[in-house]
Amino acid sequence: MSIFSPPKSLFRGIFLILIFIFIFTFPFPSTSTFTFLYAQQNQKDEIACYGDTIVAGSIGEPITLVPILAADSASQNIVGLIFNGLVKYDKDINLIGDLAERWKISDDGLEITFYLRKGVKWQDGASFTARDVLFTYEKLIDPQTKTPYSGDFKKVKDFKLIDDYTIKITYEEPFAPALVSWGMLIMPAHLLKNEEDFRKFSRRPVGTGPYKFVQWETGGRVVLEANPEYWEGRPYIDRYISSVIPDQSTLFLELRNRSLDYIGLTPLQYQRQTETKFFKQNFRKYKYPSFGYTYIGWNLRNPRFKTKEIREAINYAIDKEEIIKGVLLGLGKLCTGPFVPNSWAYNSDVEAVSYNPQKARELLAEVGWEKKNKQGFLVKNGKQFEFTLLTNQGNEQRRKCAEIIQQRLKQVGIKVNIKILEWGCFLDIIDKRQFEAVLLGWGLSRDPDCYDIFHSSKTGPKEFNFVSYKNEQVDELLEKGRKIFPVEKRKAIYQKIHRLIHNDQPYTFLYVPDALPIIDVRFQGIEPSINGISHNFIKWWVAEERQRYK
Amino acid sequence: MKNKLILSGCVIIAVLILLAIFAPLISPYSPEKIDVENILSSPNRAHILGTDSLGRDLFSRMVYGTRVSLQVGLVAVGVSLTIGLLFGSLAGYCGGRVDNLIMRFVDIMLCFPSFFLLLTMVAFLKATIFNIMLIIGLTSWMGIARLVRAEVLSIKEKDFVRYASSMGLSNFKIVAKHILPNALPPVLVAAVLGMGGAILTESALSFLGLGVQPPTPSWGNILMEGKSVIDIGWWLTLFPGLAILITVLGYNLLGEGIRATRCTLHATG
Repeated sequence: MSIFSPPKSLFRGIFLILIFIFIFTFPFPSTSTFTFLYAQQNQKDEIACYGDTIVAGSIGEPITLVPILAADSASQNIVGLIFNGLVKYDKDINLIGDLAERWKISDDGLEITFYLRKGVKWQDGASFTARDVLFTYEKLIDPQTKTPYSGDFKKVKDFKLIDDYTIKITYEEPFAPALVSWGMLIMPAHLLKNEEDFRKFSRRPVGTGPYKFVQWETGGRVVLEANPEYWEGRPYIDRYISSVIPDQSTLFLELRNRSLDYIGLTPLQYQRQTETKFFKQNFRKYKYPSFGYTYIGWNLRNPRFKTKEIREAINYAIDKEEIIKGVLLGLGKLCTGPFVPNSWAYNSDVEAVSYNPQKARELLAEVGWEKKNKQGFLVKNGKQFEFTLLTNQGNEQRRKCAEIIQQRLKQVGIKVNIKILEWGCFLDIIDKRQFEAVLLGWGLSRDPDCYDIFHSSKTGPKEFNFVSYKNEQVDELLEKGRKIFPVEKRKAIYQKIHRLIHNDQPYTFLYVPDALPIIDVRFQGIEPSINGISHNFIKWWVAEERQRYK
Repeated sequence: MKNKLILSGCVIIAVLILLAIFAPLISPYSPEKIDVENILSSPNRAHILGTDSLGRDLFSRMVYGTRVSLQVGLVAVGVSLTIGLLFGSLAGYCGGRVDNLIMRFVDIMLCFPSFFLLLTMVAFLKATIFNIMLIIGLTSWMGIARLVRAEVLSIKEKDFVRYASSMGLSNFKIVAKHILPNALPPVLVAAVLGMGGAILTESALSFLGLGVQPPTPSWGNILMEGKSVIDIGWWLTLFPGLAILITVLGYNLLGEGIRATRCTLHATG
């Protein structure tokens, strides 16, 4: 799972990530509508050819290229190209084998046997074997490793190597997300056995995936090159460059200049700035609901935000429809809880509270925030109600959203200071819990298990419950939800969780934005599906006469 | 000719001051009023300069922005003038080691590219309007200090100063009553020109998102928002740009005018 994603993210959404802007990666169910605009693809009769480079723009720089530590979408995008997991989602969101050729699950659901693909090579020529999986597993559960993903793997009771290509994994109790969890990207044991802290590996990763790492210029770009030995076949596009430009309007200018091929548009750019002839001729743009949401996270260790009435009051005081209209220009949906409307865990009975400043004032008065000072802000015991809302730099939507919130909260007497931070610095402050409130987004995994975000045991450093939410009933349901398999039964549990978290308001849930990727028209073979557009990235290609980079 | 310069400078600045003082009366809307139904409307009857990407009225924001700009000009220059006068007169009047020490400090301060110095200080302090003004003042006093020192050096050798000192007047009184008033005119010109500079600096900082923070409007942060929609919202770039241009022009005209007058006075007198 990861918390933010930069404007474009190519890769498979097995895990949660922190997102900057939009996630393209993340799968969404078949009910959603996919909109294609501009040029129709006409490629049936043509033969795919090799060559060319795709330059993708990102507002965030990767934090690390170690797959088990990568929790932000900028990092996930890159590692997703360099590494493979044992399983992955196909275009229809079915789990299929990746490094595992097939698997067998025992009738009681407690045992999974993976049969690994033979003949897969690491990019340095060594063979991939079950020992690499064992190594990755050991690193994941090692308390020394500060990874947010350890939870799923601590459930494993026994990990047995049967031979070089067979693994038997036993769970103590039924664990529903077990199979999905093995989408975790596998790291090479032979290179990392003697490396203590991955520091070198992070700047020079070696994987089994379709692209090989070439170069990482800090603050500039990450360059990858096609892996000619890739077991699924060599990718058509020779090079993948992720260019870090920490500002959406500069990204857009670079796109217009055609020096970028692939970015995520802002709603304003999508609706108003790309309707020209130039864009229609040179680009294709897409629109689909993302599998993630934007929210305000309250630091529940802060005595003020620990008070439920205050969080409820703020929820009433913010007009979310206004935000969707003003910030997303209608390209998004209301968010009522930790699941998106396209997920089967979504509880449609939970209604978003409607904007009601009067109710907000009453709730605040209940907990003693009644008197106002000369500036019109609430005071209690001589202290003004004031807090800092942090968000990341370069994301116009979040800045605007923060300004609307600031304006609405001012009307009920709360002073909001907006602080916009560079991505890495922002994540650091979250890790150290030195915040009052953050405006942030989650990119969700397909499985609704949100144990890592909301379970009270996941509040440690680098873990995802950074708001320190604790509700025993939710804890219990989260534990139960991962123990049973039938979707219908799980559905009931997760819908209950949806309701409880909606009532508790550890986050103020704001909206589910649409993903709005735009791609240079010369790329062919893009097959939009319910799993986004990037699932077949290695099959994208450019006709020889249209190739721009040699 | 120079009177025309002074006059036009004065008129521009007077208009701005009036705008700033009567901002609440002049602006048709609250500068912070968000209206999502009217995002990025081009100049029209209801919004004579159009609206920004949150539907806020640009004209009202510009009028309130005048307050920020004028304040920044005054306070920042006030700060740099105070420091510059203090250090400059100390150095010039005491001479010797004190002079050496102060002027080397000035040299050190001048070594830093001032904008980077500014950025560093902004990063450490909270970005309130007052801090921004203070920081701009703290990073721009060196020129004034040099100017004051040079003036003091020449004036302290004049007969009336020697006379005053032979009459047993304290050093403080000599500097405050006899030297500084005579050193002021060129410093004033520098100060007026400095206001234009300070306003530009504030706009640049706000343009980078490090200056005046939302929701307070300033010409610089309006420009910053305008840059991302320059192809569909030209008014967000043109009008604040013009406002900055005209204001800085006003101060420069005034400053140049005063300088020209002084030159003629020197020449004829």
